[in-house]
Amino acid sequence: MTAAAERAPAVPKGSALAWIKERLFRNFWSGVLSVVLIAILAYAGYRVVLFVFVNGRWEAVSRNLTNFMVGRFPRGEIWRLVAQMTLLGLALGVAAGTASGSARDRAAEAGLQYDPPSLAGTLRRFWSLIAFVLVLLAMTTTVGPWLVAAAVVILGYAGWQSWRLPRSLRMVSWVTTALLLLASFQVVSGTDGRAWVPVALVVAAASWLGVPVERLQARLRRVVSLAAVTVAAAVVFGVYSVIGAPGVGWDNWSGMNLTLWWSAIVIVLAFPIGVLLALARRSTLPTLRYLATTYIELIRGVPLITLLFMGQFILGFMLPAGTNLSSISRSIAAGTLFTAAYVAEIVRGGLQSLPPGQAEAGQALGMGTPAITRKIVLPQALRAVIPAMVGQFISLFKDSSLLFIIGVTEFLAVRGIAHAQPDFRVIAHAETLVFVAVGYWAIAFAMSRESQRLERKLGVGER
Amino acid sequence: MTTEQIFADATQAKGEALIQLTDVDKFFGDFQALKDINMNVGKQEVVVVIGPSGSGKSTLIRCINRLEKHDRGTIVVDGIVLSDDIRHIQEVRRETGMVFQSFNLFPHLTVLDNVTLAPREVRRMPKKEAENLAMQMLERVKIPEQARKYPGQLSGGQQQRVAIARSLAMQPKVMLFDEVTSALDPEMIKEVLDVMVELAEGGMTMIVVTHEMGFARAVADRVVFMSDGQIVEVGTPEHFFTNPQEERTKLFLSQIL
Repeated sequence: MTAAAERAPAVPKGSALAWIKERLFRNFWSGVLSVVLIAILAYAGYRVVLFVFVNGRWEAVSRNLTNFMVGRFPRGEIWRLVAQMTLLGLALGVAAGTASGSARDRAAEAGLQYDPPSLAGTLRRFWSLIAFVLVLLAMTTTVGPWLVAAAVVILGYAGWQSWRLPRSLRMVSWVTTALLLLASFQVVSGTDGRAWVPVALVVAAASWLGVPVERLQARLRRVVSLAAVTVAAAVVFGVYSVIGAPGVGWDNWSGMNLTLWWSAIVIVLAFPIGVLLALARRSTLPTLRYLATTYIELIRGVPLITLLFMGQFILGFMLPAGTNLSSISRSIAAGTLFTAAYVAEIVRGGLQSLPPGQAEAGQALGMGTPAITRKIVLPQALRAVIPAMVGQFISLFKDSSLLFIIGVTEFLAVRGIAHAQPDFRVIAHAETLVFVAVGYWAIAFAMSRESQRLERKLGVGER
Repeated sequence: MTTEQIFADATQAKGEALIQLTDVDKFFGDFQALKDINMNVGKQEVVVVIGPSGSGKSTLIRCINRLEKHDRGTIVVDGIVLSDDIRHIQEVRRETGMVFQSFNLFPHLTVLDNVTLAPREVRRMPKKEAENLAMQMLERVKIPEQARKYPGQLSGGQQQRVAIARSLAMQPKVMLFDEVTSALDPEMIKEVLDVMVELAEGGMTMIVVTHEMGFARAVADRVVFMSDGQIVEVGTPEHFFTNPQEERTKLFLSQIL
């Protein structure tokens, strides 16, 4: 029995009338309050139903669904996005499966029962996302999106089966996930420019992890792993300079597609920078400390909009001549610089919450500062700040709507396209706004739920 | 024999000295925490440090593995002179195990991972080997069955024994104990002291800061009494508890015995 259930007053079972009497009409004033609130709620509900199902001109949304999702993306290249989504489905499936697999192994090692995630549990976990996708699908007039959704689900499920793989293949699965994620990015962006850099990084990291150096002598280890990394990166560079398959660069991305990728890229870039800044701010080296503090305090004192503008108009002067960064790249840089400062302060809070005895215990064992930071301090500090960190990321995700002021057509700005159409010039502004709001909410809510889940999971066994 | 002679004799270790402190001073701001400390600890010797709180006992042993930096004098551990050189400091710390009053276990790691962490990170021991070693150490402190649990799931006494196993896994030459039973419930003190007695009998060199006089009597080779940052009196347990020379020692003993 839960604590809440114990606290609740005993209610005779099977008696709805008794429940109503007990909860809503305990005395005269509670009765009045109940009646008034129920009346207000009923009226509000009536207006919502009226707006959603009767009066709403939702064709402003349904006829612009493609615009809202991908905006100005060239229509002839939509197949790239379809390929991207299926690859993403597979990647997320493999990632979830691998995570489940290692959770199962850990449970087995500790002699505990492991329950694999159930279908019902998954639906509950992501209900806001699933509901939003179903709304989108319900508004489509063609079977195409349904087929894509089905393909994504099937591939995701197939990828999830990787949880059955033995432990020895775990690292392979993670590398596969990373490569699938990259592939899903590059199937759209093509192999132009510096596209080889992220691939080379992933392959190099994979080879660094994968080369069995445990049996080698200490001095040889470093040489062998360095060689593996270099060779891997060189091979990727070679392959990429030969194949050259141009795609649609991210300057032509827009709509929900851009919003999601922009936020994801900024989060992935800002997180490690923020952690390093937090560590630098607590460093014993004065130069490092002052630099980090100055940076953080400067950035935190400036609104994101200002930074985005500065990215557009000033960044160009500061970079070496000839570098021609696109609007999106500049805005990613601005968003990253901004978020990193906030992440740094959040992480610093976590670092300060640790009792000094933790680092001392590491020192007393003869561990160096890097090992203490990696193995003792950071894992605990980051765990402590998950809620604040996810809050920052949710806020960044919503702030991506500011990109419209520098002329980028992200999810919110697509309304401009819709209302430029003759049919919707004056009507349906409320409908598109509500639709966009629900879209943001569905994703932000899912992020928030996942963060709570993560907290609970990592809290296991804590004091 | 004068007091000075007893004192001079007692600061010298029997046999070969593993730890030598010479004229050590330590300041926290204007406050002098250690005054002119001279002390040797020999191989396989058990030295118990007692004294009122704030007398510098903890500071003394924290200087030995450089968790605190001493300001004057020299500290030599196993032939290594403690200086600002981080390599020397880490060399000393590898040879010196320390157990804290508040356990300081790593709450995000299982008991086994707590014990294997330092051998793997510092000694670069392969995982399997480190786990075998860790299980040996956990058997030595009599809790191998808790290896897969997290520290938060254990009692205080069990946690402190894990902390001892964690230090032992580095195979130190000296163990420093900083009031390791002070944060424990009374019924758990014995299980920790038992482990320490066994360690002492096994020939481990130990410096123990404690308020457990029974332990001092039974196990110590020498007892050091500190007050106001100074070593007031040093002697064998028999001498120390039955025939203390200094007024401050007598006062302290009359208060606690």
